Amino acid sequence: MKILNQLSKITFVIAVLLSLTSSLLAQSAEEGKSLYTANCAACHAINEKVVGPALKDVHQRREAAWLVKWIKNSQAMVKSGDPIAVKLYADNNNALMTSFESLSDIQIKSIIAYIKAESEAPAAAPKTAGMSTTVVAADTQDWSSKVNWMLFIVAILLVLIIAVVINILTRIGQIQGKPILNWNATNSILLLAFLVIGMGAVFWEFYAHSKHTVFSAGSASEHGVEYDSMFMITLILTGVVFIITQVLLFWYGFKYKADGKRKALYYPDNHKIELLWTIIPAIVLTVLVIRGLITWDAMMNKKDEKARKIEIFAYQFGWNARYAGTDNKLGAHNFREVGVMNQLGVDTNDVNAYDDIVTNELHLEVNQPIDLHFRAKDVIHSALMPHFRVQMNVVPGLPTKFSFTPTVTTAEMRTKMGKPEFDYILLCNKICGSAHYRMKMKVVIDTKAEYQKWIKSQSVLVANKVNANAVALK
Amino acid sequence: MSDHNLHHNQEEHEHHEDNFISKYIFSMDHKMIARQFLITGIIMGTLGMLMSLIFRLQLAYPDMKFPFLEGVLGHWGKDGKLDPNFYLALITIHGTIMVFYVLTAGLSGTFSNLLIPLQVGARDMASPFMNMLSYWFFFASSCVLVFSLFVDGGPASAGWTVYPPLSALPKAIPGSGTGMTLWLAAMVLFIASALLGGINYIATILNMRTTGMKMTRLPLTIWAFLVTAILGLLSFPVLLGGSLLLIFDRSFGTSFYLSEIVAEFAGGIERTGGSPILFQHLFWFLGHPEVYIILLPALGITSEVIATNARKPIFGYRAMIGSILAIGILSFIVWGHHMFITGMNPFLGSVFMLGTLIIAVPSAVKTFNYLATLWKGNLHLTPAMMFAIGLVSFFISGGLTGIYLGNAALDINLHDTYFVVAHFHLVMGSAAIFGMMSGIYHWYPKLFGRMMNETAGHIHFWLTIISAYCVFFPMHFMGLAGVPRRYYANTAYDQFNVFVDMNEFITIAAILGGAAQLIFLANFFLSIYKGKRAPQNPWKSNTLEWTAPVEHLHGNWPGEIPHVYRWAYDYSKPGADDDFIPQNVPNAGQVDPMDETEGLPVSHGVKSDAVLA
Repeated sequence: MKILNQLSKITFVIAVLLSLTSSLLAQSAEEGKSLYTANCAACHAINEKVVGPALKDVHQRREAAWLVKWIKNSQAMVKSGDPIAVKLYADNNNALMTSFESLSDIQIKSIIAYIKAESEAPAAAPKTAGMSTTVVAADTQDWSSKVNWMLFIVAILLVLIIAVVINILTRIGQIQGKPILNWNATNSILLLAFLVIGMGAVFWEFYAHSKHTVFSAGSASEHGVEYDSMFMITLILTGVVFIITQVLLFWYGFKYKADGKRKALYYPDNHKIELLWTIIPAIVLTVLVIRGLITWDAMMNKKDEKARKIEIFAYQFGWNARYAGTDNKLGAHNFREVGVMNQLGVDTNDVNAYDDIVTNELHLEVNQPIDLHFRAKDVIHSALMPHFRVQMNVVPGLPTKFSFTPTVTTAEMRTKMGKPEFDYILLCNKICGSAHYRMKMKVVIDTKAEYQKWIKSQSVLVANKVNANAVALK
Repeated sequence: MSDHNLHHNQEEHEHHEDNFISKYIFSMDHKMIARQFLITGIIMGTLGMLMSLIFRLQLAYPDMKFPFLEGVLGHWGKDGKLDPNFYLALITIHGTIMVFYVLTAGLSGTFSNLLIPLQVGARDMASPFMNMLSYWFFFASSCVLVFSLFVDGGPASAGWTVYPPLSALPKAIPGSGTGMTLWLAAMVLFIASALLGGINYIATILNMRTTGMKMTRLPLTIWAFLVTAILGLLSFPVLLGGSLLLIFDRSFGTSFYLSEIVAEFAGGIERTGGSPILFQHLFWFLGHPEVYIILLPALGITSEVIATNARKPIFGYRAMIGSILAIGILSFIVWGHHMFITGMNPFLGSVFMLGTLIIAVPSAVKTFNYLATLWKGNLHLTPAMMFAIGLVSFFISGGLTGIYLGNAALDINLHDTYFVVAHFHLVMGSAAIFGMMSGIYHWYPKLFGRMMNETAGHIHFWLTIISAYCVFFPMHFMGLAGVPRRYYANTAYDQFNVFVDMNEFITIAAILGGAAQLIFLANFFLSIYKGKRAPQNPWKSNTLEWTAPVEHLHGNWPGEIPHVYRWAYDYSKPGADDDFIPQNVPNAGQVDPMDETEGLPVSHGVKSDAVLA
């Protein structure tokens, strides 16, 4: 049995090797681009320093052999005392670069080819078009920036003027023997003004910014509809309470200021009123709790035999999706097998793994129930897909799960929002390290036909085994 | 009780030789320790605020270079660009400082120390020596935390919640090296300080009340401090345990919190068998009560300040005590709402959701009682009163968004987004800071024997409340658009571009808020030396601390400790000459201080109905 296991492991590795080499004989910029997006973009950009340094003209700065060595294991180079490596490490505040030992020399050279092409491409037509739009954007940004800073300066000036005026008034008051500026009266008027302007600002906020929230375009998943209605109920209830209590607070502050003539009402308690305002919140909250529990339960305890199983694998700093393949059974995993040839630590003894498909984008079929299984390699991440009202932490050693059904394709959402370049995203929402803020995966919701076409274009983990199985079944 | 205090007083007078060191540095006098806590807290708070301004600059202008950063931060701000790792370090230390060093030690440490002996009528704390130790552990802890800013790899950077494995594995982030070790050391010292203080507060409140100071006559401040101290005593040890296990995982190769981590990533030893979620349970078992450890003292201070300045009894004294107790108890069974989407059993999520939303009921009762206290009051809008009103406003705004986040279903899309940042900065950050400010303005005459400048106080208030709302209110909308917190920049996401202007607006408002605190700092420190001399009872308040002489002396009262004949809220009582009757004034014909016939809130319900009619 052991020998069999061993054998299957070897064939697995060889098969993976073969499938890799076959597709990667040529070092092309095209190939490099997809490798770059998958492996480098989380920490590097071409023209600017992000987490790591800008990569523009890196092919001129360093020799190819050095780069290959560095990319495969930068720490080894630093430890061996390579002067450039040591300086580079120190210049970047000793931030560790991930080792990419799984990338072949040819793959790395493809990436360099891509960087070279990008470095030399600034004059190309699409680039300039892009730049002009950024210039326009920068202009408007500059303009609003100026307005903001003007407001700031005006605010400071106002404060200074007020301070001077107050000072003068106090002086005059001292000369006349009675204070001119009555803070009690001033504050009570300011409280009222704050209430009016503040409430105005709150409504303006809702008017101006709710269109930017994910709620404006509606939910892109089945359970999201339920989620949104729960949200609206809470918004209305809390909104009413917010307005009533804030108005009363500031209004009382205005109305009951001391005037020197009145005495306060001695009114220490009233059990009837207190009972009332204990019971009413309790009832409102009971409604919210019951409604919330129903929603929560419906979202969490979803079981569907036909759901398509997909594993989301998180690592510093990127995502992979592993599709269960035609058998809809995800191969088991074993963290001890995580390594150069097996980034995801897929259990090589498990036949179910052979037809699994690993990708860098998450494609889902519309109206098809999905079981997402989450697994992390190193630290805790969190997979947030805001448009679908989906989020689940991705915890090393603790598999987690979220089931849902997407209902709006990417194309439909683009039309709905009027943004032709819109894409769904899955982003990391649990602090996980320096490039946390760039750790994302594109999510595409396809129609059935599109999905079939896309999944067929992806290669399974161990192609020859799967074909052999298929032949045997026939 | 008073006999014991009297005896103690005589003893004090026998060896009453103060040199500089025993008076100002290793002082065992609770009033001096309160000042030490306050000033250390203010210094730490200033540091935490400056940090927030640096990372706010980064968030508003992710593409811009600020050459001064290189001068301030050295290699972390090379070419005027903030390093992403140091950004994470800044948010981590900002959170740690604000939550623990300012709002726990600075708020509860200051006012528990100052007010407990003075308001219950005791000569000093039950154990002045432990009280002194409590401060010096806190001081040591602050030093270790500040020192960690300068070590190789930078300070801890895993967020103030320091979730492992990120915080456990130095390979995961540079800050998880020496910086994290020092963070844990600072935390251990801090917990020791909190426990030494807490035991003392409880012992003093329960055992050293003066004659007539029944539990039902305690000012609400003292009730709040009592429940706060109990919460701290029950929950801080759990964090200590959690921290120790994390120290083991980091330094001795254990795997309490680590599971399925390959050897290469975990310092050469394969780690498996533990659970990262275990740490979250231990952390939040402290972490949630911690929210109330911060908030309850602020609410207690507010109750006192509002009643005094509204010249009205606090409405529903017993209901207020009831809600403090209810909040205290419930705070221990809601910690799981921080973990709805960690993959824990959904049923467990339901239980925590139930508990969380129930806690809204006592919170609502408190809010309504504040409103009822203001109603038909005779409001003296002093700076302290303004900050107290501000607290109530923030408590409402931030509390209501808690109803979204406490709902497990809604939390799915809101967890860890800017919505959460907005929520806790309003309800816990701004509200508690406003409570602290209210306390400082109100008890400054008691702390330093002088008055603060009132005009500067009012300007400070208005700028602070405006900037706090401008900073935190818009953040809700970013959260609703799915913008995650703790992002160094949002530039990698096209759909977050719409918030470029908002981020800039928030940063400018934050700078304005920071500038407003300069007014406060100047007012605070100048008034120590230049402020007007404080009168005996500047706010015409009922509580016992105002019967003690303005000049500080060991043992608080020169003669016998005053006896207490009534509750603390006899303001504007019909038939009395003044609109306040201090607690040490007997009713007509009342001989025994313990006598219940007058001055108790119970009997007033009927009477006040008559007044209304």
